[in-house]
Amino acid sequence: MTEIVQQLVDGLGRGGEYALIALGVGLIFGVMRMVNFAHGELITVSAYASYGLALTGATWWILVPGIVVTAILTSVLVEFVAFRWVRSATDFAMLLTSFGVHFVVQAAFVMFVSASSRHFARPDWITSTVTIGGIRFEAIDLGIIAATALSLAFTVWVLQHTVYGMAIRAAAEDFDTARLLGVRSDQVIRMAFALAGLLAGIAAVFFLMRTGRAAPSAGLIPMLKGVLAALIGGLGRLQGAVIGGLLLGLVEILLVSRLPDSVDGMVNGIVFVLVAVLFIFRPTGILAAGSSHRP
Amino acid sequence: MLNKRLLAIVLSLCLIAAACGNDDDGTAAVTAPAPTAASTSSSTEDAPQQAEPDDGEPEPGEAEPGEAEPAPASSAPLDVDAVLAADLSACGPAPTGEALKIGYAADFSELGGFVDIPGSSAAAYFAELVNCVGGIDGRPLELVVRDIEGDPETAGRVAQELLDDGVTAILGPAFFDVNQAILQVTAGHTPLISVSSTEPLLADPTQLSLLASFTDTAQAKAAAQFAVDQGWRTAATFSVPGPYFGYLVEVFTEEYEALGGEVLGDYPFVPAETTDFSAQVNEIAALDPQPDVIYSALLAFQAAILGGQLDEAGIDAEMLVADAFTATGGYFIDGVEGFFHTSHTFPAPDGRMVRFLNSYEQAKGTALESDSYAALAADAILVIAQAVIDTGSLDPATVGEAMIAGTGVDGLTGVLAYNGGGTPNTPVYVHQVVDGGPSLAAVYEVFE
Repeated sequence: MTEIVQQLVDGLGRGGEYALIALGVGLIFGVMRMVNFAHGELITVSAYASYGLALTGATWWILVPGIVVTAILTSVLVEFVAFRWVRSATDFAMLLTSFGVHFVVQAAFVMFVSASSRHFARPDWITSTVTIGGIRFEAIDLGIIAATALSLAFTVWVLQHTVYGMAIRAAAEDFDTARLLGVRSDQVIRMAFALAGLLAGIAAVFFLMRTGRAAPSAGLIPMLKGVLAALIGGLGRLQGAVIGGLLLGLVEILLVSRLPDSVDGMVNGIVFVLVAVLFIFRPTGILAAGSSHRP
Repeated sequence: MLNKRLLAIVLSLCLIAAACGNDDDGTAAVTAPAPTAASTSSSTEDAPQQAEPDDGEPEPGEAEPGEAEPAPASSAPLDVDAVLAADLSACGPAPTGEALKIGYAADFSELGGFVDIPGSSAAAYFAELVNCVGGIDGRPLELVVRDIEGDPETAGRVAQELLDDGVTAILGPAFFDVNQAILQVTAGHTPLISVSSTEPLLADPTQLSLLASFTDTAQAKAAAQFAVDQGWRTAATFSVPGPYFGYLVEVFTEEYEALGGEVLGDYPFVPAETTDFSAQVNEIAALDPQPDVIYSALLAFQAAILGGQLDEAGIDAEMLVADAFTATGGYFIDGVEGFFHTSHTFPAPDGRMVRFLNSYEQAKGTALESDSYAALAADAILVIAQAVIDTGSLDPATVGEAMIAGTGVDGLTGVLAYNGGGTPNTPVYVHQVVDGGPSLAAVYEVFE
């Protein structure tokens, strides 16, 4: 019993990180009907910003806000430089644009920084644990779970109780009608990207605390997991993104723990198969998203 | 519409995952920066023999000769120390003979750039030094570097361009699949020497394919011997099926158990992806007895994370990792103090490798990002140069045969003696991280 509870705790910690990224992916999808494969670059750029700050002797008290601010600014910048110009293009063109941003950012770091990874000190407490009732809680897992809950609550609050949030929701529901009613598309989209950047920044903080590493493809795997989590939960559904992230983390941990040695290297493959099976029964994910048109 | 979009996205994800994942042909994960190995290669090595861990610079001729016919005696071996001492601002007369052209099919992509960006810089600088002291038997050394972009198709095209340029030999990139593409073009007529690969399948003299470093078989056997020598009787391993990350553990397990050790369990991870080992650590914590050592080819940042999580779970096991540790910045990471790892050479302060690195930094004003790979690039050039000196020929096939028959090129990482095979039989160094720097723990010679 202790073992399964331990695995659930570990899974929630891992899944929380995925959920934070999935929230940002879901938010952008809700507004632009685009799966943003460049979302991971917010983590990549933040990682190099952390490395740069760490070189100046900055502590994690500086790095944390630095990472979050970098992610927000990068998100808004990417929207302005890349996505703004293809809003009216086809879904496929937008998808390609997001791939393009991903590859350009990655290549830029290879060319102008290095293909080798860069490292900076992780916080001293990063692997600290608290044992309660025989269950070991990693401090960072507790942090991630708390951050995920707070981020979801904050995002929901922003969407429900602020003017910008209501505009985003209106745009997500029916962008054309929202515009006719006076919602300014530029502002709404910029706000959505800023919010997605904030969420990616929070995820990046935990990811970078754990790895202490900046690499040109640092954001690739988190992005893939985040997109997968968003798909599992139902694209465009914030609660779905969180559910998808937590579920993905739990499944991964359970597979790593429970699979026999002979097939334990197939965790990722099995996860994709399970997702495919899920889509047979729930084609739009666990929570179905509403339909809308992008601007 | 949404369903179609979902299908497209899932397909995209699958394609990306497939592109980023490890596969059987040796392609490493996107951020999996390590040399590759084959899981099916058979070993012809004897048991590792521990050498004196003195200054990390084995003397010439220290490696035992094999059974192959030795190459013709060198007419004038290149004086490596003179090359390393060359002052580019005061060079002798420029060599005037027919140029020795060496191609470098370098991978500047994120996949292999960590090796070939510093490797090609080191190779180009080494060529400058060689030319500064009169070249190779009066021949200028010309290095032609082309980018294969991490892509097998491009690698094949680049190889053809290099052959069209008239190169005598090609320096190859790190990974198996791209080297394989080059070999299809060279077709056993032009020698290919991979600067950094440890893949045993690339050590194929019939294809004139050589490695500049020891193989994964050698480093895994040396690691097993080292673990047993330390009195570590139980081990846990981390692997992923396939080349390098899986093959190393496979060989380690076989050798370790043959030497009397017991591997208690093997746990999965994904290179460059796994950043949380909680599930595996919890399983290890439940083992009885506990492992004395953890062996894996983990990337450095992953080793640091795992080490921290093991410590926190009260698991008092030593960490022993493969050469991916230094390749991925092991000495720039916190939380790795006390870790052991296998390596290509030891940076002795007065050793050739350190002299070369210092010389480069002084000349170029910036340090090379890699120590081992820079030295291996220089060694690969030395092997080709020595074969040209021995044969007096620039014919690729003649030079290739001479490289393979070579019984001892005194290089920067040790003595490279192919003895008719495709591997140089250089020693495997085991370092420990002490005070954030490498400390030589042992040297093993594993003859192939």
